[in-house]
Amino acid sequence: MISSNQLRFAYSAQKSFTFPDIRCNDKETLLILGQSGKGKTTLLHLLALLLKPEAGDVVIAGKSVKSLTPQEITATRAKHIGIIYQRPHFVSSLSVMDNILLSNYLANQKEDRQKACQLAEQLGFVDHLSKKTNQLSQGEQQRVSIARSLMNNPNIILADEPTSNLDDDNCQRVIQLLKNQSAQIGASLLVVTHDQRLKDEFSNQVFL
Amino acid sequence: MNLFKISIANLRDKKLNSFLSALLLTLGIGMISLLLLLNKQLDEQFKRNLKGIDMVVGAKGSPLQVILSSIYQIDAPTGNIPLAEVNALRKNPFVKTVIPLSMGDNYQGFRILGTTPKYIEHFKVKLAEGHLYNASMEVTIGSKVARDSKLKIGDQFSGSHGLDSEGEKHEDKKYRVTGIFQPSGTVVDQLIITRLSSIWDIHGHAEEGKTPTVGEMEHSDKQTHIDAEPDEEGKEVTSALIQFRSPMGLITIPRQINDNTSMQAALPSIEINRLFSLLGVGIETLRTLALIIISIAGVSVFISLYNSLKDRKYEMALMLSMGATRTRLFLMLLIEGVSLSVVGFFAGVIASRLGLWVFSNAAEDDFHYTLGKFALLPEEIYLFFGAIAIGVVAAALPSLGIYRLNISRTLAEE
Repeated sequence: MISSNQLRFAYSAQKSFTFPDIRCNDKETLLILGQSGKGKTTLLHLLALLLKPEAGDVVIAGKSVKSLTPQEITATRAKHIGIIYQRPHFVSSLSVMDNILLSNYLANQKEDRQKACQLAEQLGFVDHLSKKTNQLSQGEQQRVSIARSLMNNPNIILADEPTSNLDDDNCQRVIQLLKNQSAQIGASLLVVTHDQRLKDEFSNQVFL
Repeated sequence: MNLFKISIANLRDKKLNSFLSALLLTLGIGMISLLLLLNKQLDEQFKRNLKGIDMVVGAKGSPLQVILSSIYQIDAPTGNIPLAEVNALRKNPFVKTVIPLSMGDNYQGFRILGTTPKYIEHFKVKLAEGHLYNASMEVTIGSKVARDSKLKIGDQFSGSHGLDSEGEKHEDKKYRVTGIFQPSGTVVDQLIITRLSSIWDIHGHAEEGKTPTVGEMEHSDKQTHIDAEPDEEGKEVTSALIQFRSPMGLITIPRQINDNTSMQAALPSIEINRLFSLLGVGIETLRTLALIIISIAGVSVFISLYNSLKDRKYEMALMLSMGATRTRLFLMLLIEGVSLSVVGFFAGVIASRLGLWVFSNAAEDDFHYTLGKFALLPEEIYLFFGAIAIGVVAAALPSLGIYRLNISRTLAEE
């Protein structure tokens, strides 16, 4: 579960954002639509605790993050939030498998190879586990980053434009996988996008 | 998964960069290591053979040549000096011992040295088997001579004229081996030692009557008696090693000799210092070069990490967003630098041993000196920490950027 309360953020005096309150319960999905420059990524970074809001609060899994120390924020993010970025990025020197396991390692969790294989099976890249990530296609890379975000059984999955670089087929596939997987682990799924193709896929929508 | 694994994966991902950095470190470390090894071993060899010899007298010429030929047996002698003049030195109250040396022949490149038993006493070498030479044309050989020439006790051989093995052979007169010395690590190991009279006999200066007969030999139960103070009219030797009774000798005697006799006095301490200061220029240059190479290696590690960090900025932000702490990533980058240092150090140490081995083979062929000590030197432990320090500094400087990295901005920029 994730919710926000009167979030405000300013890069400068001229460039400041005030965001509508957001709420997404466990097992629910929420689509946040907005054109470029409306602060979509800023909102996502605020929700992902990558940025500190100027005012307002974020509640993650029932806990306000306002009073947390930087270390606690990092730990909370690693444990509760899975993030999928617009362009899938990886540690390029490591194999696909190691990139997925990296999220266990960095969150100080036990490495779960079995789960990684299972996810790879479900997301359809089990043959590529030992390859380097740059040998994969964009669609495959995006699916690997979905698997990576799921490794710690997060409470919340945040996706930033997960489909904007994909063709229609891959777009459909990725969004279905995201919905299925988050439903499986009972997480809140929050997608931030300007991609109009996703409009019909989500019942809960917020416009920026 | 651990930091080490990620660091190594990163290094392997940039094979050529890593290789270049490690190679430069290897070169620098290898050169310094080799210099340390050579310096130490040459120093040891020179010191060990020099011990207790205060002065060398020889024919006029280069004093360094007198020292090199008489103490280290590596250069040609300057000429001959009359034995009578050498023996006159014994009367000087400052002189403790006089050890005349006579050379000019060799067997398979090993020098045949005619001398008195004082020489053997001086180097404190012991017999491994057999007994010390007694009569003229009997020899006792050093351990390396025995090993390389395969001479055994009772074997006879003829020496060649001159100091290299191609010289004309003295076929008519044969030496006989009576004993073999234990290895001593001194110049004796590579010598064939005999009486002074053997050398005179071979070169036809000796009058038959003067050669000690078997009967005389039986009287000489004490070894020191043989050749103890040979003083024969008209005889010549190559040089003589002198020990003083007091340092006062050092002040007066060399001057007397140089002014009043046909001989010249050479002081080993001065000549060897001169030799080392001549060599020292070369060694200093090489050492500076090695330090420059090591610095370049450090710069190479720095540049390669700096560049790769620019490329990997997003990766770092990603790992930070996944729960990595900045310190953890900083450590990961340090490990990359330190790993290169460790690889460079060990490769360098191995390279220096290979270099020493090659050098040692050459030295053995040319001078019969062995430099085969391959153990790690204490100085190399400092070198190790120096290499690690270079890796740490070269990796830390660019990696400090990790602490300034803005996660959100870096992730949003793409």
